[in-house]
Amino acid sequence: MMTLIWTGLASGAVYALVAIGYNIVFISSQTFNFAQAQLLMVGAFIAYSGLVTFHLPVLVVALAAAAAVLVLAGLEERVAVRPVSQPDVQLVTTLGAATLLEGASQLIWGNQPLSVPFSAGSGVVTLLGGRLFPVQLALVITAIVLVVVLTYLSRHLKLGLALLGMAEDREAAILRGVNARRLALGAFAFSGALAGLLGLVVAPYTFAFATLGSSLALYGFVVLAIGGFGSMGGTLVGGLVVGLVETLVTRYLGSQYADLFVFAALVVILFVRPAGLFVRARERVV
Amino acid sequence: MTIWRTLRSAPSWVWPALVAIVILALPWLGLGYSAIRQVQLCCILALLVSGLNLSFGYAGQLALGQAAMYAAGAYTAGIMSVHGQTDLLEELAVSGVVALLVGLLTGIPGLRLNSWSLAMTSFFLVLLIPDLLQIFSGPTGGSNGLSGLGAVTLFGQPLSSNGYYLAIVITTVAWFAVMRNIVSSRHGVAFQVLKQSDVLASSVGISPYRMKLVAYALGGLPAGLAGALFANLDQYISPGSFDFTLATTILAGTILGGSASVYGAAIGAAIMQIGPNESTSFQQYALVFYGAFLIVGGVLLNGGIARLGRTLVGRLDRAAAVAGTAATPPGESGDGPPQEVPRLPGGVLAVRGVSKNFGGNQALLDVSLSASPGQITALIGPNGSGKTTLLNMVCGFYRTDSGEITLGEDRLNHLAPHRIALAGVARTFQTPNLPAGITVAEAVSSGRYAKARASMWSAVFRTPKYRRVRKADAAQADQVLELVGLSDVRDTEATALPLGRRRLLELAKALIASPRVLLLDEIASGLDEDEVDRIGVLLAKFREAGATVVLVEHNFRLVLEVADHIAVLAHGQVIAEGSPALIEQDPRVLSEYLGVTEESSTLTIAGEVAAITAERGEER
Repeated sequence: MMTLIWTGLASGAVYALVAIGYNIVFISSQTFNFAQAQLLMVGAFIAYSGLVTFHLPVLVVALAAAAAVLVLAGLEERVAVRPVSQPDVQLVTTLGAATLLEGASQLIWGNQPLSVPFSAGSGVVTLLGGRLFPVQLALVITAIVLVVVLTYLSRHLKLGLALLGMAEDREAAILRGVNARRLALGAFAFSGALAGLLGLVVAPYTFAFATLGSSLALYGFVVLAIGGFGSMGGTLVGGLVVGLVETLVTRYLGSQYADLFVFAALVVILFVRPAGLFVRARERVV
Repeated sequence: MTIWRTLRSAPSWVWPALVAIVILALPWLGLGYSAIRQVQLCCILALLVSGLNLSFGYAGQLALGQAAMYAAGAYTAGIMSVHGQTDLLEELAVSGVVALLVGLLTGIPGLRLNSWSLAMTSFFLVLLIPDLLQIFSGPTGGSNGLSGLGAVTLFGQPLSSNGYYLAIVITTVAWFAVMRNIVSSRHGVAFQVLKQSDVLASSVGISPYRMKLVAYALGGLPAGLAGALFANLDQYISPGSFDFTLATTILAGTILGGSASVYGAAIGAAIMQIGPNESTSFQQYALVFYGAFLIVGGVLLNGGIARLGRTLVGRLDRAAAVAGTAATPPGESGDGPPQEVPRLPGGVLAVRGVSKNFGGNQALLDVSLSASPGQITALIGPNGSGKTTLLNMVCGFYRTDSGEITLGEDRLNHLAPHRIALAGVARTFQTPNLPAGITVAEAVSSGRYAKARASMWSAVFRTPKYRRVRKADAAQADQVLELVGLSDVRDTEATALPLGRRRLLELAKALIASPRVLLLDEIASGLDEDEVDRIGVLLAKFREAGATVVLVEHNFRLVLEVADHIAVLAHGQVIAEGSPALIEQDPRVLSEYLGVTEESSTLTIAGEVAAITAERGEER
């Protein structure tokens, strides 16, 4: 049973990591980046190429993945997000970016799932009465640490405060001298670099394959909807819920029911608390 | 140019109808099998794109669920057919209804959060298709697909391949006629208002949630029809036909053709079908191509091919000086004396002990005031004193923490904004916010969209009731436009008006619903003195007609001139209330406004205003 829970936690951590990426961009530029999970997927593929094809040292691969995805995300912001002002059209263009990344990955890396080794070992360990792989533990720890660090930074760095200001009242923040455009580009670039790095941790668990992005995108979104848009802590709770639902349903009902139940969870949360568990419903302003 | 004029003199539906007749006749014009099949697939894709246009282009909600509704329609028809139910009309009807239900069931939760949540829930729906088919693999054939569909029949007779071709084209044409009738009706204007802003829509009594749901679910109908047509085309369906690539193809067709258009859907679908889908080597690059296209199309193709077409028609119209779009006749410039105002029976608006706290910031504290019919009640106060907050609470955009707001016998607080509008509260906005592409008369008529109802169905079939409501729309719009002096710009695009006239338009839009209370939010700000005078005259007329007018205003001169009763807000509380003469002398008002302390003051506000005006005069 504990083994099952560990699996759920690890999967949940992956989805939470995607949701964290959504949040970074959302908080700083009120944009929903459809392509966030695809960026992570590209990170996973680069990890495969670096570690398996070219046998490069982990550190080099990590840097390369972070740099490459950073550039991709920056490009996306400049080409697909900045020139578009209406949010509904931004949704179309970031979906375009997602589709483009998915198609390009298919062309470059093919359709087969690629196995990526985890550099900190692959022996099974026993923890709290459940058996798990080191990579699963690493995922859970990464998600928690990221949330704690990002929350701390957003409260204590000037940059973080600027971001929170932007989220609260964009116009007021701009009037106070916050450079909204540079922040938006920075947020995309940062979330990109992060996605590239995370590819190294995620890929050994999920494999690298071309439709990884789509499924992660949806599950990441459900995590976000449960935790609430813009809530960093909420991603952990959302991830926990989604990961456990998926794992338990797969184990006891069969894998074809997993998506259905996660979808049901999304529908329920949208009905009961449309703004998510950790975000106060904000009143409309005229 | 004369040719163009002749072409334009025909009703606008004639040209698409001609094109439809040509397409119908294609098999008899010697078109080969593969070309015929392409046309059939174009029709099916056009139905899907058209459905997305309704929700994305008109209601502003991006949805990827068309593919899922399409699958629902296809499998419904397929299962019916396998069980011996091969009549095409029955299959179309049931498939359409099933797809509509899928739309309703996913739209209800999907529309609750924001514009992304529908996109995501509907995207999720597409991902669920293979799983659902696997779970119900008994009736659906699972991943192997559903085969063994019977030959399609119509009224008990088997359909020939040409007969089926006709059936597909006629169904498509019929849907486009329905779509055209919805979009060109008052519902089309309402959709544009909704797309512009939820707040705007609810201020004229439209429930944004319901309207979006209607658009999204209704978009499922053509998808269901397309599904039934597709199932019978090859008599075999499999999960592979309803994947994410299809969802992006539909979206690309929408962007290419122009999302806010009727016929753009057909053009976009035709290009997508005949262009990229044609070549087999394309499959490999499909996603890259669609992705790149969505980015480029989204950034550059604002309005799609339909917009290019509209611009071209407009330009030709102007060149040929087609009647109706010609420049407005000179003379009647709207500066004449306002007309007599019909009776505007108001109700008593009462605010009792209302408080509002925004996370520690006490915006309003125990505010009470009332506005009576036949009186102009002004609400004044420095910036940040809570005037607009109070207005927003009356309109239901904020909830009251405590206290009560009533209009006549009706309790307003805790009602949704659009219900409050329906209860008889009309308001104008400080910054006039109007959708592009509608005329002044249409913008004004939108004010009575919810007040005088005519269902979608009545618009589709242009029933006598619909015609009656439409006629009343036009008559009343003319009347209020005359009243505020905008008759001469009746057919001009509303967004093209200068600020002063747009404020008058706002006023007309508020009036047309014959509201029980009229809330005017800084209606004079940014206007020149003549325009302010004009508004003052109009307001006095409204008072004579018995209206309840609440004026939130910074323009002190206007307030002192027209108001019967003034309430002064400061720091979220009413600090003074009474007649203009009383307020002018009130020491607390003086200290709030002019920073004058009680001892030193022999000043009055009117005096100050006069002094400032005089100073300004000297400067000029």
